Amino acid sequence: MRFQRIIQTLSLATFLGLLLYAAHPYPDGLVTDFFLRLDPLIAVGTMVTVRGVLTDLLPAVVVILCALLVGRIFCGHICPMGTTIDLGESVLLSRKKAPSKASSYEATSRYRPLKYLLLAIILGAATLSVSLVYLASPISLITRLYGLSLYGAACLGADAALEAVAPLLSALGLRELAYLQVPQRAFAANLFVVALFAGILLAALVQPRFWCRNLCPAGAILAIFSRRPLIRRHVGESCTACRRCIRECPTGAIGDDPCTTVHSECIVCLRCQEICPENAISFFGARTGEKNLKPENPGRRAVVIAAGTGLLAGAMVRTGFGNTRRGNREHSYTGPTLIRPPGTMPEADFLSLCVRCGECVKACPTNTLQPVWLEAGLDGIFTPKLHTRWAACAVQCHACGEVCPTNAIRRLPLVEKNHAKIGTAWIVRQNCLVWEQDKKCLVCDEVCPYNAVSFQAVPDHKNAVPFVVENRCIGCGWCESKCPVQGSAAIRVNVIGEIRLASGSYRERAKEFGLVFRTKDNRIDKLAPGTFDNQSVSPAPKQDTGRPAEEKPNGGLPPGFIAE
Amino acid sequence: MELRKDRREFLKKGLLGTAALLTGASSFSLFDTEAWAENYPDMAIARGNDPAAITRSAVNALGGIKRFVKPGNRVVIKPNMSFGSKPGEGSNTNPQVVAEVARLCHEAGAVGVSVLDNVLHSPEDCLSMSGIPAACRKVPNTVVANVAARRLFSSVKVPHAREVSSMEVIKDVLEADVLIAVPVGKSHSSSGVSLSMKGMMGLIYDRGSFHTRYDLHNAIVDMVSLLKPHLVVIDGTRILSTGGPGGPGKVIPLNLVIASADMVAADAQMVALGTWYGRKFKPDQVRHIRIAAARKLGRSDLENLKVVNVSA
Repeated sequence: MRFQRIIQTLSLATFLGLLLYAAHPYPDGLVTDFFLRLDPLIAVGTMVTVRGVLTDLLPAVVVILCALLVGRIFCGHICPMGTTIDLGESVLLSRKKAPSKASSYEATSRYRPLKYLLLAIILGAATLSVSLVYLASPISLITRLYGLSLYGAACLGADAALEAVAPLLSALGLRELAYLQVPQRAFAANLFVVALFAGILLAALVQPRFWCRNLCPAGAILAIFSRRPLIRRHVGESCTACRRCIRECPTGAIGDDPCTTVHSECIVCLRCQEICPENAISFFGARTGEKNLKPENPGRRAVVIAAGTGLLAGAMVRTGFGNTRRGNREHSYTGPTLIRPPGTMPEADFLSLCVRCGECVKACPTNTLQPVWLEAGLDGIFTPKLHTRWAACAVQCHACGEVCPTNAIRRLPLVEKNHAKIGTAWIVRQNCLVWEQDKKCLVCDEVCPYNAVSFQAVPDHKNAVPFVVENRCIGCGWCESKCPVQGSAAIRVNVIGEIRLASGSYRERAKEFGLVFRTKDNRIDKLAPGTFDNQSVSPAPKQDTGRPAEEKPNGGLPPGFIAE
Repeated sequence: MELRKDRREFLKKGLLGTAALLTGASSFSLFDTEAWAENYPDMAIARGNDPAAITRSAVNALGGIKRFVKPGNRVVIKPNMSFGSKPGEGSNTNPQVVAEVARLCHEAGAVGVSVLDNVLHSPEDCLSMSGIPAACRKVPNTVVANVAARRLFSSVKVPHAREVSSMEVIKDVLEADVLIAVPVGKSHSSSGVSLSMKGMMGLIYDRGSFHTRYDLHNAIVDMVSLLKPHLVVIDGTRILSTGGPGGPGKVIPLNLVIASADMVAADAQMVALGTWYGRKFKPDQVRHIRIAAARKLGRSDLENLKVVNVSA
């Protein structure tokens, strides 16, 4: 196998391995979002957006500086998007290459400036603190593809495979494996993620690696820094102008005169060097009589227009419904069911930081985190929300904060996370079996990890009815997810009372607000016990059920006993 | 033991068995259970401080494991291991009791023993904290597993059901030759107590609907009319007297193990021996036991049963 392919394979495998480990319990010592931290667009775009240096994103600066030495080597070797496109093309495209006339840089330069313009638009919007990074960040796009779409499908496939090989496993004495459970995951908006990637891949029918050549703004940043890298293509005098390298170049970086190169388009895959029958091409060694080709640059006018478009887009987003902030209104509007993960930054800051990579959604062990499609507006696409009817937030887990590359969800210790109120449950009496039909049902109380549902006797009801004790409710959604009525639950979480702190302690703020979050059973939610520090939270006030003991049904005994 | 009446029978079987062994028909059973059935006690209660030893002597007093497990049989053991809690907390079966039952099965020639439950808490926690896999590790041919993946279940019709006409049951249980219930004695916030019958809900895919959609007590009885264990060994080394099924609650040491081929009788005996929610109950005060006895799935009239008490 060629060197480039070996590195690409290792890189993609590492990327997928890290993505797999982006889960609860979070593996200490692993940086599962490492590839996202390498993305030049995420780093530059986000730092401009928030006007500050984010130390977690400094690896991308190293990638950019590497471009000064070896050009766009990241694109050809490390980038999982590039590797995935290569893989896709090997299936999609015929092995027969286009003729050299049609493959040269000059013949394919038409769309090249688009990537710079896209970068200008994103940076234009970033100056107004609006992040459009997610639209075109290659690592964000590819993390979404694998984490939100292909992961769910892979889980389904693994389960089917286990079923198929179960007799074989038993025969081999591996009965334990036959019982293995693969978590089954469902993701909202997964088809849209796939559709976006399909568009990127299909563009290869126009030109190979169409995305990398013409559209990728991260590639554009690297291109700017690799005009004349230290290690670059050089053609010696033995060249017979057979033009084979022009046809083989995956990014069309070689000019019509095969001795010329556009280094900012070269991904240093070394293919030309390997196939040259005269061994005329080298990337190291002496350079004599070097002929460089001037890359196709966007006109100054076009760049100004693009940056202006970005500014305008930023202004539109800022005056849109979801992203209002200082200078417009005191707080942003969030939909009543747009429940963000615990520890999420205030909405406007969150939208500036979130690159929509979907790592938090992939990592969520209960599958409650889901990417939103249009619920948060056009500028909120693919941001995470809790779908509390589908599943609940686990008490012992804060994987979403651990995996976030930009700290749009703060990396909080568990005790802090378990004071970050994300909403409040309220009872919809028309849907409730007890309130509406006077049936006996205690499910919301039984599953509430925080003892925030209280059943009380009311006139005209044979059975005690549920009330939410709002200063004990953290908004985790166990009640809503387990409510036995079909369709919409009779108890639903709303953003009422959510707390978002850009800095400082959630525990102290909760105390200030008189909130008492104390789990009644630290194993309630099927996740690891012992990690929630009960000692460090304020004690719950003595519970008053409002019902004298003698009124308890069945003399206070479980209904399974016949009291005599 | 009334040996005299069967001496002739025994000698006959013995000679036949020897002949069979000599002619290579090794699968021939030396002890024909049918011929002995009328002499077995209905129940055995073993008392003592060593959980493994009292488990063994309870099963032996009942007629020995060979009465239930034949060479080549596949056995499923259903313990309680649904909660991420330690043996002392009383919500899971004592691991030594489970391991000893598995060991007895292995000694009787079982080719595969599966200790299965569909747990409620995190599977890793349930398996590690219950101590059951660790205790069973040294028993050959024995696998302890949480069974939760849907592919491992198949739907079964329940004949003469009152509530639940069909349910999805772990396939391995349906295919097993022998089903043994090894529950712990514990209280239960809905069914009053959770013993061998209630415990079978751990073999069902959608046990939640038993609580929400059906009358729980009749649903339990429908289920055990289908999943009737061949042998019940109830762990009464300590019981979870309150706070069941998950605890925490009051744990009372009783230092005993009950063994019976009659699930209703075993459960009834555990109810009578234990204290629940600070009170004593008669077996028929537990709804699902009363219903099961009424539907002739077993006997709850303890006073008419032949019970052997042993100590170890």
